[in-house]
Amino acid sequence: MLLDRTLRARIERLSFTARRRVRARWAGRHPSYRKGESLDFADYREYTPGDDYRRIDHALWARLGTPLVREFEAEEELPLDVVVDLTQSMTFGQKAHTARVLTGLVTYLALSGGDRVRLHALGGPDPAKWATGPGGRHLSAWPRLETWLETRPEGGTGLLEPPIRAFAAGPVRGSVVVVSDLLTDDWERALDGLAGTGGGVVLHVLSPAELSPDLAGDLELVDSETGRTVAVSMSEQAAETYRARVERFAVDAAARARRAGCDYVLVPAGPDAADATLAALAAAEVIA
Amino acid sequence: MSLLVPGALGLASLALPLIGLYMLRSRRRRVTVPSVLLWERLDIPVSSAVPWQKLKMTPLLALQLGVLALFVLALARPFVLVPSLLGPHTVVIVDTSGSMAMSNRFADAVEQARFITRDVSEANQVSIVEAGPIPRVAAAFVTSTEEVERALDGLAVGGGAADLDAAVRLARGLATPDRPTNLVILSDGGNEELAAEPLVGADHLGFVARGDNLSVEALSVEAVGGVQRLFLSVANHTPIERTATVEVVVDGAVFDRLQVPVEATSSTARRLPLDAPPGAVISARLVGPADALPLDDQAWTVVPEGADRKVEVVGEGSPFLAGLVDAVPGFARADGDGDVLVVDRGPLPDLDRPAWVIRTETPPPGITVRAIARNLAVTYQRPGEPILDAVDLSDVAVGEAQVVDAPDWLPLVRSGDVPLILLGDVDGRRVVYTTFDLVHSNLPVQVAFPILGANLLEWLAGADAGPVSSLPAGTPIALPTVADAVPVVTDPAGVDHRLTPDAALYAATSQPGIYRVRYVRDDGTVEPGPVAVRNFDPVESRAGFRTIATTDGTLTGADTTAKVREWAPWVIALSLGLMAAEWWVGHQRPWRRRTKEAAA
Repeated sequence: MLLDRTLRARIERLSFTARRRVRARWAGRHPSYRKGESLDFADYREYTPGDDYRRIDHALWARLGTPLVREFEAEEELPLDVVVDLTQSMTFGQKAHTARVLTGLVTYLALSGGDRVRLHALGGPDPAKWATGPGGRHLSAWPRLETWLETRPEGGTGLLEPPIRAFAAGPVRGSVVVVSDLLTDDWERALDGLAGTGGGVVLHVLSPAELSPDLAGDLELVDSETGRTVAVSMSEQAAETYRARVERFAVDAAARARRAGCDYVLVPAGPDAADATLAALAAAEVIA
Repeated sequence: MSLLVPGALGLASLALPLIGLYMLRSRRRRVTVPSVLLWERLDIPVSSAVPWQKLKMTPLLALQLGVLALFVLALARPFVLVPSLLGPHTVVIVDTSGSMAMSNRFADAVEQARFITRDVSEANQVSIVEAGPIPRVAAAFVTSTEEVERALDGLAVGGGAADLDAAVRLARGLATPDRPTNLVILSDGGNEELAAEPLVGADHLGFVARGDNLSVEALSVEAVGGVQRLFLSVANHTPIERTATVEVVVDGAVFDRLQVPVEATSSTARRLPLDAPPGAVISARLVGPADALPLDDQAWTVVPEGADRKVEVVGEGSPFLAGLVDAVPGFARADGDGDVLVVDRGPLPDLDRPAWVIRTETPPPGITVRAIARNLAVTYQRPGEPILDAVDLSDVAVGEAQVVDAPDWLPLVRSGDVPLILLGDVDGRRVVYTTFDLVHSNLPVQVAFPILGANLLEWLAGADAGPVSSLPAGTPIALPTVADAVPVVTDPAGVDHRLTPDAALYAATSQPGIYRVRYVRDDGTVEPGPVAVRNFDPVESRAGFRTIATTDGTLTGADTTAKVREWAPWVIALSLGLMAAEWWVGHQRPWRRRTKEAAA
């Protein structure tokens, strides 16, 4: 069970808020690019045959001599694509488990808000491919999505940019949630690509060992996904340099995410990840 | 500081491979990380590919070099020469005579011995000689204070006089050519001058402490005119007249308590009527406040047998034998039912008593006559045999003697392989067999004859009838030989000392009191032996002091008294401490832990 009963009870009343207008197929509760049938007045336009005459503003017609009809905001669902990184690099520390929990958290939030969710997972022999899992719109879909999340295998490799480009190019302009350690060669392009989507959230999961490595001596570091090696001679100075590099990495990722209209949360992998993420999302008013 | 093994410093070259190991680069350890993305192009200085690197002095290397240096130094055995009271070999003679019990003389002497020997070592060895009535070596060539302590703890002051002459000879005997030997005599000087004074290469440390002393200097039982009396003498060794209170105890019960006034530096005798059975133990002790020499405040005696033991002489007899029996104190001739039987030639009678059998027609059971030998001279006297004490038979000539086979008899005197006098037993009774006729030898006209005869009669009469020897403490007790029996001596403290079957003497008699001997056979039967009284030597009660003349002692001279004090144990201890620090630094890495904690 990814989310225990207590946590689910806490987040059932919360839902995602869309920072941009959404473009979806189904009505929902988020502002849309389209005009619709909500109670929120949007604008006037000239009457064209076929319009519902009940929307004609007769007072304006009398004053201006031109029939104008009232338009109202449309409200649509928030399509949410959640991309969880389950590549080999996520198997270190508790990153993969933390990523599954965070994905579950986001999914449950969306389902409880009546938003449409679709899950995607990175990890496999072909880095350009990703797995798309089941979707859902109601909490009734949660068990299915949870099972898929729990049973999704870890390992392999994967790139972030292909799925994000695909979301941006699609007919539906929803939000994207990325749960990843961003340790891919295309992480910069992927975050930049989020600008073409309806915004979203980047949950950057790093293990404590990555934040502050406990390494010493002369080492040959081997990349778990690519097999590339790097020779380092660890010292206090080297460790300090690495930590500065990680900080710069996080700052850079946050800046790119924000430029793309997304929120960014750095989540240290561990048992407190869900609470910390909830607090950060609430503070950023991503959920309400 | 000097080095005993300077060549060991060459081992310091081991520092080179140690430093070399630090300059060798270790093979890189492969560590799989999630991604090398953050490690690439990182501005971390990476070691080059050459197998060696610039030496970097780390705390670990410094500690390891320090440990190596200390071990090498320890192997080189650094030492310094420090002044010492001891020479290469010092023999400490500790006087344990009765006078050393005065005040705290003996304790002071032992303390002095400890002080002198505190620097004992391999280079400054120590021997300790106990100067008692019979000097002995308590420790020889010891090299540690523990051995010295053990030897000193084993010393105890007794009631006898010290034979300092013999002690010095014994100490000289410990000298070896390779080690100059000094003597240190810890004594109040003894009672007489030594045979060779001044003593060369010796020091005499005297002990003069003294205090008031009264002593029971004599105690004996007399039988005069059929009346038994106790003779008691109390000595006053103080310069003023004193009155001593003497308590006389007979077999554990207080018999009398009397006041004896004694003039200054003199003694007073008392005679008391006594009615005590033979064998009764009598003691006299001074009561009242203890004086400076408590050991001489008590004396013991044992009531001897009242009547002479009877000796029946049978066979042809000779005037020599009759004269002998008449001359030996405590024995008298009898016509029948004697305690001891003497058979002089003729047929062998029934041996129903202890017997001295002199060349009878038939030898006693266990002896077989093989031949007759003539014109014999004594060539062998059994060493240490009490019966032969003060008996010199070297001038004895025997005209004719039996050549006998006596495997179970003990040959006491022999001429070559021909036994002349044998000891044995017949049906559990002591028997002496003389293989030659007295009249066919010159033994009866020898000075040794009455002594030998007296000893033989006393041995035959056995312990029940034996005299009670009352001598100064320290005088050995002669132990007659009893076939197939082990002598056991009970000392005044009630402790049994089991001796070897052939023991002829018991010498540990320095403690005043009564020593009882018994013989234990294999079958568990016990035969009583002699009783010996050893009282405090009256001469020792005076507790005088005499300076022993010596030449200039070398003990305190700077030329021969340097002591080698090695530092190796301390250096090794220091190196072990450094090793512990090296282990701690190497495994705990405290600075790394602190850095981590700070980072956390």
